[in-house]
Amino acid sequence: MMKQNKVLITGKKFAKLTLVSVAAFSLNTSIFASEVTSLDVKAVCNVEKNGIDNVLDLATKYNKIAKKEGLEFMRLGMKTSQYISGTQKSIKDGSKTVDILNKKKKKTGTVTTQYAAWRACSFAIGALQQANEAKTTWKLAAPGDGYVY
Amino acid sequence: MLLKITKMLTLLVLTSSVLNAAQFNEQAEKDRLALIKYFEAKFEDPEKNRNTFFPYSTDEELKNGFIKGLKHMDFAKGNYAFNKDGRSQYEEINEMPPYEDAIEEGEAIYAKTFKNGKSFATCFPDTTIGGMYPIFDETRKQVITIGQAINECLSTNGEKKWKMTKGNMAKLQAYFAAETMDAEKKIDIKIDSTDAAAAYQRGKEYYYTQRGYLKLSCASCHVQGAGQRVRNEKMSQLLGQTTHFPVFRLKWAGLGTLERRMGGCIKDEGQVPPKSTSADMKELLYFMSYMSNEMPVDGPDIRK
Repeated sequence: MMKQNKVLITGKKFAKLTLVSVAAFSLNTSIFASEVTSLDVKAVCNVEKNGIDNVLDLATKYNKIAKKEGLEFMRLGMKTSQYISGTQKSIKDGSKTVDILNKKKKKTGTVTTQYAAWRACSFAIGALQQANEAKTTWKLAAPGDGYVY
Repeated sequence: MLLKITKMLTLLVLTSSVLNAAQFNEQAEKDRLALIKYFEAKFEDPEKNRNTFFPYSTDEELKNGFIKGLKHMDFAKGNYAFNKDGRSQYEEINEMPPYEDAIEEGEAIYAKTFKNGKSFATCFPDTTIGGMYPIFDETRKQVITIGQAINECLSTNGEKKWKMTKGNMAKLQAYFAAETMDAEKKIDIKIDSTDAAAAYQRGKEYYYTQRGYLKLSCASCHVQGAGQRVRNEKMSQLLGQTTHFPVFRLKWAGLGTLERRMGGCIKDEGQVPPKSTSADMKELLYFMSYMSNEMPVDGPDIRK
């Protein structure tokens, strides 16, 4: 009987824990979604105003999530994470430019370090904002759902 | 009496399973029929439909560049269903198809024995399977593409897995596609459960979601943009897009799988493409293939 009660209590505890975790996760997701949506990309990714390190920190923070969600941007063969690492290397080396590399690691061009930081930050945040917006807009493009012609 | 009861029960079970199957693919069928209706309307007469579907095209291309009055099955040819110039070039190249060697190599790969004495025939006794993948595996609760099934066959038999996008993988798929086409089989994708319907729905959402730094969805180019020109190419339409894979693409100068093509498309949108065996990619292909249901398998084929 005691053993049964113990199992019952453990079961209840487990259910409670699950509920709390689910609630915390949902809350966290919605806080996160509103946090990303409310960001003004032009303002927060402005290198001159915020400093290159802060802009890179933002890029790193949000690109980590974008990557996990399968949303990471790429341009000219470079992923956002490569723009971040390229900019970090450039700052460390005291260089004023970041090399654009294709998938075979061959240099195809250069951008200024400041521009690479801006791109990394705007790409990282833009990917998440766009995905958030698409949750309510994707059906508008589907014939039979929301697409009218 | 017992026989009657058994018959009744069998009938009941059969009716209920047919009804259930119909219920699970209800949304997918609705989508497919809406898509057919859309493309038939769009390509009925591009010149006449300029304001609705082709606002940026020139008079000359609308008048002379399109094959008009297309019906559902015509779209199995992809872009060459409506693209007059492209169609004549396609027919010319197909007089000596560059993928024929690949089919023969695929057949040899199929027949070759593994180190354990078995072969692909152990896993795929029927070679006319080009139209039935991707399938939804109800036990593993995931979409299985033909590429994944081939690689699982290899690893089950102690062989190394292949790259999902080209090489031997594309050659063996070319052989399956050719066998399926010769058998005059059609695309036949099944949605037989709630989980399968959910996977389809996620694939559909992926297709219609704007992504990448260019903020384009697959549909921007291949539903709303189908038939419109980018540089010198008219974009193909979703309907019939999976019927002809693997394809020999002139740009690749070789054969590639559907995963290779989709990876390229997603890169063009400005996003890192999902891995070939990821749920995102497999569900995307599941949705796209369902849209081509009932259309004849027409692969391998050539594309620019």
